[in-house]
Amino acid sequence: MAGANPVVMPKLGLTMTEGLLASWRVAPGDEVKAGDVLFVVETEKIATEIEAAGPGRIESLLANEGDVVPVGAPVALWTGESSRSERPETPDAAENVSRSATEGVSAVPAVAAERRLSTPLARRIAREKGVDLAALQGSGPRGRIKAADVEAAAPRAHAPADHASPQRRPATPVERIVADRLSASKRTIPHFYVLADADVTELLHVRAELNAGGAEPKFTVNHFVVAALARALAQAPEFGVRWTDGMIETVPGSGVGIAVDTPRGLIVPVLRDAGTLGLEDLARDASALVLRAREGRLLPGDTAGAVISVSNVGMTGVAHLVPIIDPDQSAILGVGAIKPVFRPDAEGRPALRQEMGLVLACDHRVFDGMRAARFLDRVVQGLNHPLRLLRAEHATGVRS
Amino acid sequence: MTELRYIRAVNMALADAMEADPTVVLIGEDVSEAGGAFGASRGLRERFGEARVLDTPISEGAIAGMAVGAAMSGLRPVLEIMFMDFTTLVMDAMVNQAAKARFMFGGQASVPMVLRTPHGGGLGAGPQHSQCLEAWFAHVPGLKVVCPSDPASAYGLLRAAIDDPDPVVVIENKALYAMKADVEGTPPVLPIGKAVIRRAGTDATVVAYGAAVRTAIAAADTLAERGVSVEVLDLLSLQPWDEAAVLASLSRTHRLVIVHEAVEAFGIGAEIAARMAQIGFDELDGPIMRVGAPFMPVPFSKGLEDAYLPSAAGVVRAIEKTME
Repeated sequence: MAGANPVVMPKLGLTMTEGLLASWRVAPGDEVKAGDVLFVVETEKIATEIEAAGPGRIESLLANEGDVVPVGAPVALWTGESSRSERPETPDAAENVSRSATEGVSAVPAVAAERRLSTPLARRIAREKGVDLAALQGSGPRGRIKAADVEAAAPRAHAPADHASPQRRPATPVERIVADRLSASKRTIPHFYVLADADVTELLHVRAELNAGGAEPKFTVNHFVVAALARALAQAPEFGVRWTDGMIETVPGSGVGIAVDTPRGLIVPVLRDAGTLGLEDLARDASALVLRAREGRLLPGDTAGAVISVSNVGMTGVAHLVPIIDPDQSAILGVGAIKPVFRPDAEGRPALRQEMGLVLACDHRVFDGMRAARFLDRVVQGLNHPLRLLRAEHATGVRS
Repeated sequence: MTELRYIRAVNMALADAMEADPTVVLIGEDVSEAGGAFGASRGLRERFGEARVLDTPISEGAIAGMAVGAAMSGLRPVLEIMFMDFTTLVMDAMVNQAAKARFMFGGQASVPMVLRTPHGGGLGAGPQHSQCLEAWFAHVPGLKVVCPSDPASAYGLLRAAIDDPDPVVVIENKALYAMKADVEGTPPVLPIGKAVIRRAGTDATVVAYGAAVRTAIAAADTLAERGVSVEVLDLLSLQPWDEAAVLASLSRTHRLVIVHEAVEAFGIGAEIAARMAQIGFDELDGPIMRVGAPFMPVPFSKGLEDAYLPSAAGVVRAIEKTME
């Protein structure tokens, strides 16, 4: 195709190797100008709209919605400038795509079809039975998905409750990415755990007073946990490290990842420099970040810049969460439910206290048990004395 | 059980209608003294008299104009146009007068007339005596169009057409005139606008009318040997056509093929395909296929005409295509 250049899968993060082409916003023949959205890429963390760098006309689409495409592989041809000139140009775009298929990263035939073909009946049945067409192989002409293909893939919801045979369905591309990353994490990171119970009786009083009368921003328990973690990190910057390709990398700042349960799955946006924020700013910024994550409006930078995250399941009543470390990080704090307990007071009499179960999962390549215990203790102390959390931490240890 | 030929069923329907209603008259070229070019009105002049079975000059325009006038003044004329190819000459009377009168006179006028005419090839009659032009009439609001596929429906639809208060075009395929079938007594009058299932099936629906119904059934027989179950729906009425029956069948089989002898382009099949693509969209599990004649005049040569007419093999291919 004379004058056609590839539009490639961009690299949206340091560790991104492939991206899910979630949806096309253009069709062949469309004239686009700089800033027009061409397609949407989902990584395990975020959905990102990819914009045209300049004007041009879309000649053809080389990837289907639902395809997982390696970074740098072409997803379309257009008359505009090559989207990433610094990447090695492949002489033949189609060759590159078919290579990606043979590597097994693509769940579907990487034929340069313009869209995923399916019959109307197949789509209707897929809607009714909740089958993801993107995960299916069609048996019709040109890979067209027919009703029978959907029926074969559909979980037999109305089957009698015999336990004769387990039901299977293909994982969605997002589920597959998450599975791959978490398996890699558990396989390569030597996890170890330190556990503690934080006394949050005082914290709950402080929080109730701060929130009294519907004042904004509304403080959540998790805001205090993030603050305690961020303060500990700012005070002990030696904890801001991670293992990267045989090197120990220091990551400046006191960013904290916050695990958010979204319709797309679990994602972990980062509240940057959380240690330097006063509690009010922290609460406001964290709430906005979580909202953006829930609405799928995160930006590429929103998931980078942290080596530690918080995963809070306290709303469920579960006592402890033993979490898996994000493969790009070195620790994660699992937060359980707050429960009332009797503890002996100074005179040995039972006193009613509120306690929260904490589990800190650590990468033993960069921490040992003693350091992890000291760090968790700092977090616990912060939660035990919540008034200290109101003030921002101005320690600038590793920041220059 | 008695054996009834298609052309004899037409003759019987005309006779029974004339017997039942003295306002029914026959008009056409050679319909009276000769009994019709294909014998449809044989014996009727003798039975009902010259005044009710009229021979006309060779002027289709005059025949149709006369019929419209007679219908608007109290008679129920049945005119015969010897070949459908010649209906080109009746168009002003049919389209501008017969079809419009009820609407233009505020519902106070009606035109209870019937235009009988044979279409179709297979007899080596050439490009001007073989055409299937039913889509022309089906395109005109105010006209009804029916197309019987066997002796029983030839009788039942012609009786219904003569009884109808509005103009009805009854199209008979001349290749079916010799068709025989066993019937029990007098066949029933059929409602206009209702299709019938000629053969039940579960894998694909073939919609056909007229002589194409036989072609569709032959294709269904072939595929049955291969384990493919084909439903054949005989439209019988083209305007109005039985949309509900086609949709119901499509909803059972999820695949649709439409067969007619008329050229495929801009035909009855196009209308059915378009409606089903709209109202039956979510039922479709394959492309809607049409089987019709190529976009060419009907050839004279026997060999070429055989290749031109839709065949059972062509219908089989279309069914296989939609089931891919």
